[in-house]
Amino acid sequence: MIEISQLSFRYREGADPILKGIDLSIPDGAFVGVTGAAGSGKSTLTYAINGIIPHCYPGDFYGSVRVDGVDTCEASLTDISRLVGSVCQDIDSQMVSSVVEDEVLYGLENFGVPKTEIPARVDEALAAMGIAELRDRSIAELSGGQKQKVAVASVLALKPRVLVLDEPTAELDPASSVAVFDLLKRYSVEHGTTVIVVEQKIALLSEYVDTLVIVDEGEIRFCGTPHEVLEHSDKLLEIGVNCPRSTSLVNRLRARGLVCGPAVCTVEGAVCACEGLLSGKGACA
Amino acid sequence: MKGFLEYVPGESFLHTMNPVAKLAAAFLLVISCFTTSNFILLAVVIALDAVMAVQCKMVPQTIGLAKAVAAFSVILALIALLFTPQGDVLAPLPWGYIGTASVLNAVLIVVRLVACAVPLFLVFYVTKLTDMANALVKVLHVPYKYAFTFMSTVHFIPMFMNDMAGIMEAQMARGVEFDGGLVKKVRLMVPLCVPLLVSSVRKTNSAAIAAEVRGFNLRTRESGFKEYPFSGTDFAAMGIAAALLVVAILLRVLL
Amino acid sequence: MIEFCQVSASYDGELAILRDVSFMVSDGDFVAFVGTNGAGKSTTMRLINGLLKPTSGEVLIDGVPTSQLKTSELASKVGFLFQNPDRQICCKTVREELLFGFAAQGRAGAEAEAKVDAMIERFGFDGDAEPFLLNRGTRQLLALASIIVLEPPIVVLDEPTTGLDFRECAKVMEVVSDLNARGTTVVMVCHDMEVVGDYATRVIAMTAGQVVADGATFDVLRDADVLSRAHLLPPQIVELSMRLAQEGAVSPTSPVACANTLDGMERALAGEVGVRGKGDAK
Repeated sequence: MIEISQLSFRYREGADPILKGIDLSIPDGAFVGVTGAAGSGKSTLTYAINGIIPHCYPGDFYGSVRVDGVDTCEASLTDISRLVGSVCQDIDSQMVSSVVEDEVLYGLENFGVPKTEIPARVDEALAAMGIAELRDRSIAELSGGQKQKVAVASVLALKPRVLVLDEPTAELDPASSVAVFDLLKRYSVEHGTTVIVVEQKIALLSEYVDTLVIVDEGEIRFCGTPHEVLEHSDKLLEIGVNCPRSTSLVNRLRARGLVCGPAVCTVEGAVCACEGLLSGKGACA
Repeated sequence: MKGFLEYVPGESFLHTMNPVAKLAAAFLLVISCFTTSNFILLAVVIALDAVMAVQCKMVPQTIGLAKAVAAFSVILALIALLFTPQGDVLAPLPWGYIGTASVLNAVLIVVRLVACAVPLFLVFYVTKLTDMANALVKVLHVPYKYAFTFMSTVHFIPMFMNDMAGIMEAQMARGVEFDGGLVKKVRLMVPLCVPLLVSSVRKTNSAAIAAEVRGFNLRTRESGFKEYPFSGTDFAAMGIAAALLVVAILLRVLL
Repeated sequence: MIEFCQVSASYDGELAILRDVSFMVSDGDFVAFVGTNGAGKSTTMRLINGLLKPTSGEVLIDGVPTSQLKTSELASKVGFLFQNPDRQICCKTVREELLFGFAAQGRAGAEAEAKVDAMIERFGFDGDAEPFLLNRGTRQLLALASIIVLEPPIVVLDEPTTGLDFRECAKVMEVVSDLNARGTTVVMVCHDMEVVGDYATRVIAMTAGQVVADGATFDVLRDADVLSRAHLLPPQIVELSMRLAQEGAVSPTSPVACANTLDGMERALAGEVGVRGKGDAK
């Protein structure tokens, strides 16, 4: 679905390239989490996918990014937007309307979706985010979690093939963060939509994504399933990426020779590993 | 000032009117206010303002707004009072005098501004910005870019005010005293423009990108999903406002 | 000392955001407020430094009601770090930023300069750098430094780690924890339960404008009833320990069932296996 090859990018005002020789291939329908330390280039990587670079921020762009066969440098931002839906970090300034329903209508109107189809699309998008009852509410009155769901719904209504989200849970409490990821995951599975999320909360990513991408100083350090990536917990720590505590615990138990098997990503995984250990089955010979 | 100029959902007659009709009627009222110097006519407009405020259940907002406008216009009125000597001398001043007509004039300024500001601001409280922009594009054929710019500007006002309030709070929390004279206040506010500017530039930038990735460039006059037909009541409302203007002009010409 | 006596509060006379909240924070405490967005945590913080006055009840700082003091007067007692450092930073250089509070509180002078220099040294700042050009994590640290350089006896932090990466977060929290170790009272709002578990000694859980739990950090975070009422997710190790006890893998009184930290859990598990291993050998 997305083919990035030898991508390098330097912002015009930046001295050093923010991305250096990125190669990444994302299959159709994947749920991808991107993380890394501040300033590692993880957000810029998503800008390359939704066309914000090179179309909105000037700079030196080398290599190529293809989304569904379309070269993002050659296509216009508007054309890329037909394929890739983007939810920006600052959702407050993203909102163009004062009422939820109008916010969802906006993109549908612009992209010329037939007017007979529009009501059904609005219903569907609101339902997918579980906010059907917010339809007539004023956006200013909504909580952070509700606003985030509106922002996602207004992009989902366009039925993009790829959905890119930049730190969608930064301002949310843990319960709302989990709720947003639950909805994204379900949508991705049901509609086969490719989802790419930049996120600081590694525990959340480890639980939901099927591919975890770790960016460090403009390069992809690790890319694989959370199990594979979290094997490298020590190296991750060196580049400023924490591991979920469950992973750290099980890794320590493995180091002591108490537990075998792959790295765990979730509390659930740690529970299994510990139960195995306590029942005597998990102990290594 | 939470919710300043922000849409308040409702079902009232004013809410359901055509956005263009609302704007037209409001502007007709404004012109009437500035055409006339007749206190009775201005009183009629203020009464009309009151009726509208009650009708769309926006009484507290209207009172707050009227107070703010009155406070502002008092400054203008004072200047007019001191510097436009007219009518019989009431009190001599080193550079002229305060006359009976000056007093009338000053009062007129306050009454006129309050009377005309209320309908204009009420429009924003009872109209969704998107509806207003879409109706302007559909009915009056205003280019969408201009309508969107206007819409974004108004949309950003509450966000800026929020930011400003937040920045001032941060200053107070560090020990800055914002009470005191106007000059002192302004002097204290100046350095705050930097953080405000920084956040505004960031916000407008990300808003522009967000609009673009949602097909802003493709939007045409036909894009809007909702239609904005005029109904009998819209014509009636504009008719009443137009009639007021006619009366105002007649009073001006005849008296 | 901070005392809340049956405090209710609201904005612009609207619906009450806080209802009948009472608690006391003693000198030297490290308290974390937890709960969902909109539970009233930030409102509580604003009440502490007088940005908001209670509509009923009283907030006392060292025995003086905040209603009798202006926020600017409270500033010397309560240092307040806002969630967004960009709303706080306003000077042209890092040095000026650090001096700002002294000037605002009328404490400028040689002593202030010395303290600022020491702070620049301690944090490794460039005193002449322009604050807005620093990266997000450094701006947050600068905002924190410009508050604590004033040495207020109470520090209030509204989501100090939001938007920071792991290293930045650890750096900020180390500073805060060091501050607390030297006797400063710390009150913070925090969504990251791992951070809460690592640093806070006491947790107050709020939901819908009311306090639902107030106690030692892990007593609150282990209370299933509180967790569900306040929509909280416990730290992973706590969740693991509760799950293991629940599912009967360990006895509810075993060290594993009481382990709260990574180190504690590792030790407890190793100990448990050791004991059982010996049992099997017989």
